[in-house]
Amino acid sequence: MRRGWLIATIALAIVCALFAAESLQLALFDALGPGPGFFPFALGGTGVVLAGVLAWQVVTGRAEFESDHLEFDRTGLARIALVVLVLALAAAFLEWLGFATTMCATLAALLVLLGIRRPLVVAAFAIIGSFGVHHVFTTWLRVPLPAGTLFGA
Amino acid sequence: MEGFQHLAAGFAAALTLQNLAFALAGCVLGTLIGVLPGLGPAAGTAILIPLTFKLDATGAIIMLAAIYYGAMYGGTITSVLINVPGEAASVVTCIDGYQMARQGRAGTALGISAIGSFVGGVVATLALAIVAPPLARFALSFGAPEFFALMLLGLCLVTGLAGRSLIAALLMTIVGLLIALIGIDPVRGAPRFTLGLPELYDGLGFVPVVMGLFGVAEILVTLESPARQVLETKLARVMPSRAEMARASGAIGRGSAVGFFLGLIPGVGAIIPTFMAYVLEKRLSKTPEQFGQGAIEGVAAPETANNAYANASMIPLLVLGVPSSPTIAVLMGAFIINGLTPGPFLFKEQPELVWAVIASFFIGNVILLILNLPLVGLWARVLRVRYQYLCVGTLLFCIVGAYSLKGSVFDVGVMLAFGVIGYGLRKLGMPLAPAVLALILGPFMEKSLRTSLEMSGGDFSIFVTRPISATLIALSVIVIVGASLRIAAVRTMRDAELK
Repeated sequence: MRRGWLIATIALAIVCALFAAESLQLALFDALGPGPGFFPFALGGTGVVLAGVLAWQVVTGRAEFESDHLEFDRTGLARIALVVLVLALAAAFLEWLGFATTMCATLAALLVLLGIRRPLVVAAFAIIGSFGVHHVFTTWLRVPLPAGTLFGA
Repeated sequence: MEGFQHLAAGFAAALTLQNLAFALAGCVLGTLIGVLPGLGPAAGTAILIPLTFKLDATGAIIMLAAIYYGAMYGGTITSVLINVPGEAASVVTCIDGYQMARQGRAGTALGISAIGSFVGGVVATLALAIVAPPLARFALSFGAPEFFALMLLGLCLVTGLAGRSLIAALLMTIVGLLIALIGIDPVRGAPRFTLGLPELYDGLGFVPVVMGLFGVAEILVTLESPARQVLETKLARVMPSRAEMARASGAIGRGSAVGFFLGLIPGVGAIIPTFMAYVLEKRLSKTPEQFGQGAIEGVAAPETANNAYANASMIPLLVLGVPSSPTIAVLMGAFIINGLTPGPFLFKEQPELVWAVIASFFIGNVILLILNLPLVGLWARVLRVRYQYLCVGTLLFCIVGAYSLKGSVFDVGVMLAFGVIGYGLRKLGMPLAPAVLALILGPFMEKSLRTSLEMSGGDFSIFVTRPISATLIALSVIVIVGASLRIAAVRTMRDAELK
């Protein structure tokens, strides 16, 4: 748990430092008063200081964690990584293949990945979940979803 | 009573067939979200925002508010039937609700929850109608320094109550504020922190970020250890008996008061009112030993407090423009998407909308009562749907929701990235609520701060020389100092126990 918090604290410190550094490229003050860099610089600087204090607390064992152990299930983690990968691929192909086609493949892949092995069930869920949802949103709710550049839309 | 006149007009607007349908749809969808373990009201409300895109502002807010309190009730069902709270506020209900289910009284537990939720919601909404107009009039006298100080107090309250590490909560607040500043500078109009990406000129979308942090992250946590056990129980009798109602009535009354007053304070969160209502009942009970063994008061009190809190927490949002929880922040986001800024000016400029929404809270509570008593069995069956379908279906709606907001795949990527970040932060126990509230308040805070400093010619004493802002700043300091003292006291006691 301690190592996890330290990594998270360092990552947050870097984020704050980047914002503070970028703020210096903007005016901190101008003729009208505080400039666009003022608030983010103040926040970024404070964030770096707080991250420093938190890191010190973590290293010296003074930090209060919600739980003492950080538990990861390896199989579960692999499952999560694959789900994220499938979703990232879906995002990448969404505008090219269109919502319905991309989501049909995505839903089928996700179900198989999560252990559903009955082809008919997978196919039915994927088709209804993709083409059905596409129809509901585009026709009934009039919310546009990508039709797919591959198909000339 | 000025509030009740407005409320009558609000009822006239809310009782159209169309708005009733939106409230009904919101209640059904909200309860469904609450029933699904792992999907809380914040994520659920955010995911369903796209359903309201083509609605008028009043209809959209009515539906989203109904989703919110529907979800608050829905969480009870999983607490009672599978001992897993559908959302955090239902944690306390598990204690006696699950015991009642094991004794074959699941139906009664769910019935008293529905009745308590109804009473709590109605009482809180009545109080809202009384309190809101004078409070909004008072808030109209606020200038930029007062609004800055008010938002600062809201963030301090959320931060001070966020978890065991105050520094971590403060850091998360600052990161939330920084992320909120990405995009075009609201005062000068110049792009900031956009990395040259035109997609970031409007800033990181609040809804995709919340969907990621709460929706996708929660699904990822569920996927890591998906097993759950549904209790096979009969739901034959849902209405509590007279004796049970008599036992629960005091708990319902007190739960309403506890939930309402704590709902007025930003940052308290729904767990504290439910826990306080439970502890209060146990203290007052002549048979405290029955608590934890299936006492009906142990279900009635927290469930009533939960819904009273949910309705009362609308007051800081509607009157002051300060959200008190991540879900209320999502609702604030929905207001903004619809071109409305919650706060005292909304009461002045759009009274019809505000009062129609408030009237819809009453209607929503009636719908929930009518809907949930006979449909308890149906909701229980939803729990038997395999988690794979629920998770995949939720992810599908997350993608639709993130994309359809601006028609941008970039937002889908943002949602996914924040889903992974949220999963990591959740595993570590880092507080997310302060970051989400900071994310929505960031642009308003910066604008108020800079306007204040422009008014004073760069002199920071403007915040302490005006009585209201000085009071609010002093309260903010007290909250943070109080939180650090509380944490230090807890640590000292624990260290003493270990020795």
